[in-house]
Amino acid sequence: MIAAESAARVLPGWWWLAPLAGVLALVMAYYFYASIMRASPGNARMQEIAGYVREGAYAYLRRQYKVVGLVFLGLLVLLSIMSFVLGVQHRLVPFAFLTGGLFSGLAGFIGMKTATAASARTAQGASESLNRGLTIAFRAGAVMGLTVVGLALIDITAWFVYLYKYHHVVFGGHPMNLETITVVMLCFGMGASTQALFARVGGGIYTKAADVGADLVGKVEAGIPEDDPRNPATIADNVGDNVGDVAGMGADLYESYAGSILATAALGVAAATVGNWGIGQTFAYLATPMMLAALGIVLSIFGIFLVRTREDASMKVLLAALNRGIYVSSLLIVIGSYFLIRALEMPMGVFWSILVGVVLGIVIGKGTEWATASDFKPTRFIADQAQTGPATVIIGGIAEGLLSTWIPVLAVCVGTLLAFAVMGGFVDLLAGLYGVGIAAVGMLSTLGLTLATDAYGPIADNAGGNAEMSYLPKEVRHRTDALDSLGNTTAAIGKGFAIGSAALTALALLASYIEEVRIGIHREAAAAYEAPADGAPYVLKAVGGGKYGLYFAGSDGDRDSDQFHTLSAFAGTGRNAVVVPAPDGNGEISVIITEVGELIKGVEAVDRDGRRLAATKASLEDFMTFYNVTLMNPKVMVGVFLGVLMVFVFSALTMKAVGRAAYAMVQEVRRQFREKPGIMEGTEIPDYARCVAISTAGAQREMLLPSILAIAAPVLVGLFLNISGLLGLLVGGLCAGFSMAVFMANAGGAWDNAKKYIEAGHLGGKGSLAHKAAVVGDTVGDPFKDTCGPSLNILIKLMTMVSIVFAGLVVKYAPMIGAWLNLGN
Amino acid sequence: MNTHLYLMCYQGEALVASHLNAEQFGAYMAVGTQKHTSGNLLFFELNPEFSSDFLRWPAAKVDCAPHADGSPRRSKYLSIYRVLEHVPLSAFGKLHLVTRDGRVLSLDAANYTESETSASVHLYTELAPVCPRVVSSLSPAAFARFITDPANPVSVPRVFFSDSLIEREADGSLAGYLPYPNPAHIVDCMNDVEGGKTKKTKTVERNPQLVAFYRTIGRGFFLGDAGGIKFYPFPTRDELDDRHHVWWRSASLD
Repeated sequence: MIAAESAARVLPGWWWLAPLAGVLALVMAYYFYASIMRASPGNARMQEIAGYVREGAYAYLRRQYKVVGLVFLGLLVLLSIMSFVLGVQHRLVPFAFLTGGLFSGLAGFIGMKTATAASARTAQGASESLNRGLTIAFRAGAVMGLTVVGLALIDITAWFVYLYKYHHVVFGGHPMNLETITVVMLCFGMGASTQALFARVGGGIYTKAADVGADLVGKVEAGIPEDDPRNPATIADNVGDNVGDVAGMGADLYESYAGSILATAALGVAAATVGNWGIGQTFAYLATPMMLAALGIVLSIFGIFLVRTREDASMKVLLAALNRGIYVSSLLIVIGSYFLIRALEMPMGVFWSILVGVVLGIVIGKGTEWATASDFKPTRFIADQAQTGPATVIIGGIAEGLLSTWIPVLAVCVGTLLAFAVMGGFVDLLAGLYGVGIAAVGMLSTLGLTLATDAYGPIADNAGGNAEMSYLPKEVRHRTDALDSLGNTTAAIGKGFAIGSAALTALALLASYIEEVRIGIHREAAAAYEAPADGAPYVLKAVGGGKYGLYFAGSDGDRDSDQFHTLSAFAGTGRNAVVVPAPDGNGEISVIITEVGELIKGVEAVDRDGRRLAATKASLEDFMTFYNVTLMNPKVMVGVFLGVLMVFVFSALTMKAVGRAAYAMVQEVRRQFREKPGIMEGTEIPDYARCVAISTAGAQREMLLPSILAIAAPVLVGLFLNISGLLGLLVGGLCAGFSMAVFMANAGGAWDNAKKYIEAGHLGGKGSLAHKAAVVGDTVGDPFKDTCGPSLNILIKLMTMVSIVFAGLVVKYAPMIGAWLNLGN
Repeated sequence: MNTHLYLMCYQGEALVASHLNAEQFGAYMAVGTQKHTSGNLLFFELNPEFSSDFLRWPAAKVDCAPHADGSPRRSKYLSIYRVLEHVPLSAFGKLHLVTRDGRVLSLDAANYTESETSASVHLYTELAPVCPRVVSSLSPAAFARFITDPANPVSVPRVFFSDSLIEREADGSLAGYLPYPNPAHIVDCMNDVEGGKTKKTKTVERNPQLVAFYRTIGRGFFLGDAGGIKFYPFPTRDELDDRHHVWWRSASLD
């Protein structure tokens, strides 16, 4: 029976390549994981140190998952009330939210499990050869990359299959239409975003508290070098690399990747339905981002195998080895997508948008490299400033960081316009926005490989630490140093890539938010369903705030059935307006149709001129007009200001959190040195676990306020300032957040590399006054680049995701609050 | 319990007896007490049997008795101020270099031949009994003789100093990796003494803060006077990285 009913909605054979690619990614991730685990973990000392780091990382994750679990429970209850009590959201949203969070957390956990297992093995591999070390570290990073893309694509496709083929079979009722399916799936992004925010903010606070604590007391006060086992915070520092840069980055990009696919699919379906395209074409628009992601997975795996190097490789050769994988797979994704677009009979504009996205990713990566690598002028300038003291280092770093925003910001501007234009966006807005979305998918298509390159950094860093603490021979340390240096560059590029993709994805999400509003209005209207009087084709009823429901006969009273027999509308006189009799029977009113119930699509509901009411649905412009989204509306401007404020307040909160957590760490390390004098003399073992616990507790305590603020702000702004104010908030947050994130990541990266440039023997080298000044810059830059900057990516996306999930609530209650406060619609 | 005799000689001299061996003593002095020595710590191990009116060793050895609980005495100060000049050169054993975090590198004395010096200008960092940094056209042995010559109105009885790295770029400036503050001034001073044009020795800085000191060491350390010179060669960077990596990492930090 189930098979028969599900078969009624047959998916084309080629579509199954998408979930298969997801499975392939996981199989390859396991293959790489198994090959890493087969490698020797090194001598007893190496294993002991790796064990400390692994235990610390697990302790952190256990605690984090407990806290996040409680927050998820709270949100689940809230979403359940919205779905089951208030009826302002689909009943599946709470579950979609949960799976998004679960898979995002799982991706971070697997990545970190692999990374902590790989550090000692990388050090051991480096004792055999440079290529062996590179291969182990990179493939460990690949486990993270492939797990992220594999789980994301499996989650997306599994939900799609279920909603498209089986949900109505299992629970009865009518099959869901593609618009509803895509917006419900979009909600699973909020789970991923929430998980990512906690992973990024918590991980960022943890890693910098440990790092700053270890440096300030260990290096500056006690004069002991990095990765010295006498430093009580050194294990926490190594753990921090994993929880911040591996688990945090994985969860972050999981969300971007899934978000870009889901938002683009939703936009594609919206464009197709508003344009009244056929189901075949609609399905192609929906499936293209998934198929592109599938192609990207295959090419990422191919690219991973291309990364290898020769024994006497210089830094340049090592970087070239990593770039070879990225460039070749990028080129192949462009070529492959051409044939994919042809095969799916999509317009060639889609191909050009993908090309724009791929090129944009490379431009942002290169721009980040230019802004942060010591081979280029900005970092050299900061290093020069170090000769005149810490104040000029700070001034120089802030100035270069601010200036460095021009490359990614202009790149995103140009890329957005190009992707929009090549899809004919200046004629068809939704198609243009689909182009922007598919550009984001194109940019992230080879994420499996890009993320491998990024996650490789902390693994190589930990391998270097392990080699130092294990007193491995010179040639091994030199190899791990080379791998570590490369990792610093790739980590900075990875951060730039994550921020750029967040900006592009957020733009697509912003557009799909309106689709969620469309469904929200429809849901609100359907909730007030009223059967028409005998003989009447339909009944029109005002539901408040200028919104209307036109109800057709035939509903069996079930909520889904009500929606299928409802035609929702809002007051409007634009191009798509139709004129209907007023609900009170006095005269006529002009309305614009927002959504048409699935079962009444064929109903001949006509207006007084004989036109079909459902002929044209409200366009995005109609929504903008209805909610008065113009710069002349003070609610929009206030929203923009609040969005900018959110970025600044959020940044301040995360910075202060690092300061407080680092303070606790400094006190602890000082206490241990004071109370255990044998630590410095090498006769006593420091209490590593205590430092890990302090950083863990600090991170959990400190991450709550900024995270809850990020979740609460869009809901509150939406409820008080309605859709117009909320869109202002999202736009303000996106623009300020993107620029601020780039500034912070680049300034921090440049400070770090200016210090390393001096340490390499320039301007007096290590220990010189210039070096001391550069160390101050690096310490200031640490929370910039590893806590605030990366967390802002998520803030941008999470605020949009929260807006999407809470759209129904805002649509229904904001007009009431607005009326109560005399704020208008 | 063996009793060792150490002569600490940077920014003040002190003769100290201790039950700790050199490595333990260095770590103790650097990090083992709240009154630790901040910064560079250099000390010689002396042969306690040297004959001198200055040190009455048997009595001093008795003074350096273990604590009541049997634990070793870590430091028994026997003399401070003008110690260096009273110990015969033959009594100086190993030179121990201690980092801020208590790592110790021990250097043996080696034969020194004047032919090893080929540079026309040298940078010397005096460590005891006074601590200026000077440039000089004199070789280390000649410099030691010059600075300890009583006929010279500015002289000391004996001098302990390091030969510091000096390398110039093609444009005449100091090489970028050298951590000296105010490198342009060093170049000016070098130009003044080059070829013994106007003077043989010129003070660069009267009491320099020894920034990244161990990274600045050239051929090594010298201890001498008019009667002779002892040379403690400093390992090459490769040797340091290879054989003394742990010490070198700490030494490079500051």
